Amino acid sequence: MASVSVLDIGRTTTRRQSLWRSLRGELKGSEYTWALAFCVPYLGVFLAFVVYPALYGLWLGSEPSLYSELFSDPIYQSTVVNTLLFIGIGVNLKMFIALLLSGFFMRPGWWVKVMLMIFILPWAVPALPSFISIHWMLNGEWGLLNNLLYAMFHIDGPSWLNERWTALGAVIVSHIWKWTPFWTVILLAGRMAIPTEINDAALVDGATGMRKFIFVSFPLLANLYLICTLLSTIFTLGDFNEVYFITGGGPANLTHVLATLGVRNAFDLAQPRLGVAAVMSALPLMIPLVIVLMRKLKTSEVQL
Amino acid sequence: MTVLTRRSVLRSSVAAAAAGALARPFIANAAAATIEVWFVQGFVPEEDAAFRAMAADYEKQSGNKVEHSLTPYAALRQKEVSAITSGVVPDVMEIADFALAPLQSWDGKLVELDDIVEPIKGQFVPTALPCCYFYNNVTKKRAYYLAPMKIAAVPFHIWKSLVEKGGGNLSQLPNTWDAFLDFFKPLQAKLRAAGMRNVYSYGYQLTANGVDPINTFNAFMIAYGGTDFVTADGKLHADDPAVRDAAVKAIVKLTSAFKEGLVPPGCVNWNDADDNNAFHSKLMVMDFDGTISTELALFHKKEEFEDILTHGMPLSNDGKELPSQIAIFGPVIPKGAKNLAVAKEFVKYSMEPKVLNEYLKGGLGRWALPIPEIVKSDPFWLHDDLHRTAYVDQSVIKPTIPIYEAYNPAIAQVGAEHVIMNGVFDVMKNGMAPEAAVDTAFKRAETIFGKYPIVSS
Amino acid sequence: MSTITVDTRLPSASARPGERMRRIARRRRYVMNVGAAILCAILIVWTLTPIYNIVMVSLQPHGDVFSDEIWPSNPTLEGFWVVITQGYWYLEYFWHQFGNSLYVGAAVTLLTLAIGSLASFSITRMRIRNGWVVSNAALLTYVIPQSFLAIPFYRIMQSYGLANNLWSVIAAMVTFATPYAIFIFSQYGRGIPLELDESARIDGASPIQIYFKIYLPLMAPALVAIGTYALLLAWNEYLYQFLLLSDKHSMTVPVALAQFLNSDEAPWNLMMATAIVYAILPITIYYVVRRRMTAGLTMGGVKG
Repeated sequence: MASVSVLDIGRTTTRRQSLWRSLRGELKGSEYTWALAFCVPYLGVFLAFVVYPALYGLWLGSEPSLYSELFSDPIYQSTVVNTLLFIGIGVNLKMFIALLLSGFFMRPGWWVKVMLMIFILPWAVPALPSFISIHWMLNGEWGLLNNLLYAMFHIDGPSWLNERWTALGAVIVSHIWKWTPFWTVILLAGRMAIPTEINDAALVDGATGMRKFIFVSFPLLANLYLICTLLSTIFTLGDFNEVYFITGGGPANLTHVLATLGVRNAFDLAQPRLGVAAVMSALPLMIPLVIVLMRKLKTSEVQL
Repeated sequence: MTVLTRRSVLRSSVAAAAAGALARPFIANAAAATIEVWFVQGFVPEEDAAFRAMAADYEKQSGNKVEHSLTPYAALRQKEVSAITSGVVPDVMEIADFALAPLQSWDGKLVELDDIVEPIKGQFVPTALPCCYFYNNVTKKRAYYLAPMKIAAVPFHIWKSLVEKGGGNLSQLPNTWDAFLDFFKPLQAKLRAAGMRNVYSYGYQLTANGVDPINTFNAFMIAYGGTDFVTADGKLHADDPAVRDAAVKAIVKLTSAFKEGLVPPGCVNWNDADDNNAFHSKLMVMDFDGTISTELALFHKKEEFEDILTHGMPLSNDGKELPSQIAIFGPVIPKGAKNLAVAKEFVKYSMEPKVLNEYLKGGLGRWALPIPEIVKSDPFWLHDDLHRTAYVDQSVIKPTIPIYEAYNPAIAQVGAEHVIMNGVFDVMKNGMAPEAAVDTAFKRAETIFGKYPIVSS
Repeated sequence: MSTITVDTRLPSASARPGERMRRIARRRRYVMNVGAAILCAILIVWTLTPIYNIVMVSLQPHGDVFSDEIWPSNPTLEGFWVVITQGYWYLEYFWHQFGNSLYVGAAVTLLTLAIGSLASFSITRMRIRNGWVVSNAALLTYVIPQSFLAIPFYRIMQSYGLANNLWSVIAAMVTFATPYAIFIFSQYGRGIPLELDESARIDGASPIQIYFKIYLPLMAPALVAIGTYALLLAWNEYLYQFLLLSDKHSMTVPVALAQFLNSDEAPWNLMMATAIVYAILPITIYYVVRRRMTAGLTMGGVKG
């Protein structure tokens, strides 16, 4: 680690040298070519498939009148509240659980491996059938959940999807169910990147369990955790599957999120611009997230 | 293993494709052209086969080539919206929902089909025509933008065995609206007493999902005299006392069934398929749901299939004939179609009564044929099957009115926003007065209609 | 691997304070194991309840799907048999479509890993000047949610002549997966000391040698995690697949699954059986490649 900061000092001095050098960084001729060549495939993808669609998308949702129409939609406000709850609770709870579980899955033993295989099942099963199955499972009359309640306690459970809060809760829980495995696997990989000697040193110092986590693992994971949380927030803002298939936005349009409102506007109302506008209206939330994310990525590149 | 299977499948499908290409009769045609056609995937495989046969016949006769893709309707609708928005469109596409054709006509994104529909319009059910005659806000006038290919209405579906088990007698089924509905009311208690824990009288769709709740509410409102909710001039009559009164009565009838526990509580958040799932698992005695797909799903289970009674509209409470709302589905040609002439020729061909009849028979009658002459002469439609007879009688022979979307696309948005059903929910769950619910809903409807002004010529 | 570390360290750490400490350590381990067992039980119930519902539906004869049973009274594997033998018309090309899915999944995984790791190698290891601009620009991909780029994507695929071609789906999925891959690789790579590259460079290794011999092996856990992510993204995505693919021969399995929603009534048992058959492969793949994660860990331990 110490030698890295030396490298950083070296950088600040080179920065003052010629412009040409500053453009190429510290890379020498052929290495610079290589470095550029390594970026070319991605730049190709970016130019061919990102720039145009993203600009086109922005253009689709750029008319101001769309927004006055969008805000006059009676369900817009509750949709924003739902989106904030869905993201605020769903994403954070999910990420936190994933962080803890990734520690659990670091444990040795074959049965932990078996558990991991079971645990990633929700991620592997296609979204459409799993969410439809959850929709049925929560049905008041013939859903598995109420059938179980009846078989075990002889009580009739409620219609879970008939009230706004239970329906929204079901959506959030399903989101956590479906996506915790993915983020656990990502954080698990992150934990594996922690050099073994740091762990060993911590053990020698007698740091175990919670203390080791707070003082050793978490600081090293913090940046990854934050970036994952931000990205997950961005992904989840655009994800319509949970709400679309589990509650369909119901009851009475009370559980829509911006993504499903967008899908409804684009395809049920056949007004794609209004659909894009619905999602665009999350930009005030999205832009700060993206800025924080950009900063994080930049600092993580410079420091180390 | 999978690779092997895949390869062999690939190989066999390539072989099949090659054989098909060789077997196809080749007609020399200097102007031979290819059109891209998007149709809705059939409900049963026979329907797809019927479409392919029709396309193949057209290819044989014209020498042109039809490149078709058959897509599930929800996916197709998204494809169609994407295509029209982005400007890269197929030559012909079938419309399978209420909103797309009126809205795209409004924006001037579809090609006028007057030259196809005008010459043949005498043969069609008169109410089918307004369903295709949409207002174009660019030219400020109406024209035919949709070919009236398939007609659909909403019938009642009744389990005969459940009625009997509940002590009812279908031969005494009353034929006026309220009495007809109330006939099913006492069955629930008797069925439960007979040991069926989960059974309900009605399968009303009080959800804010899909078109089913809209159909349900409209039928109830019409039954109570609210037919003029939207009129042919594209105007909303939310201030008409008769309409308002009918809307209140409809909401009261629907919500009181819910409050009395006569409807499965889950219906508040059913999706498109749930009512059929519930009906098929005999969760309710009676269901009110579009087309006879409910029955046809059990086509291969004779006993259950025969156990369902399909029933059209009863009379109104004062003994008058109640019109059923009908929807029309069929092909449109989007502007920007690369091969307009051939596209029109194909649509024209598919609308030839004989061709159309053969095609629709492939779908087992889920879509009725909107041509009364043929319906009466071909025994398939009114004689071969009791369900079909009732359904076709309701949608083609008996009085009908077009869906409101035909008059003004604003109502499509009113429907998609489920303005009425949100009010119904407030009445059921939050104790709102039906009148207040109607007022809120109508106010929102008026706002939406404000965006779609129609200049009457 | 980590088993060894823990086992060798623990005795040496606890030997000094004597018997008492050892007993505490043993009790501690016992408590930990009981805790782990409870956690496992919760995880299993949590993960498998919705899966159980899917399996239950798949085992039910068509028509019995909605009932008040909690275990099918006449379970049958018939649904699976129908799927495997393509015995239902929605599934008449199931294996062909499965092959398409496999093709798309493999291509997306390999391309994402290749493009993503090359770019992140160039940015974070070779430290190409202003490389952070590339990863920041990549964020633009996520500003407009994936579901709303569908319409622009539909358009560009037509102009690139990729309509109804599996490569259009591959391109779209690679576009969405690579920015994320770059982020995670960059983050993960921070844990790998830069001196490794430096010393190799001094030994005369070319960038491409460093990439293959040092970078990729050390990145194994992240490659596995992102590879699984890319595979499952391509494997389970359906919006793009049905927008961009039109006929039954070019369809992938998720599109075929969406057909079940075509009618008001469908053989749900077949839908769920298809989902299960379909989900087995990615889980198996993850299981097989997971060993590589441990391999990467060992190397990191040795070299770092």
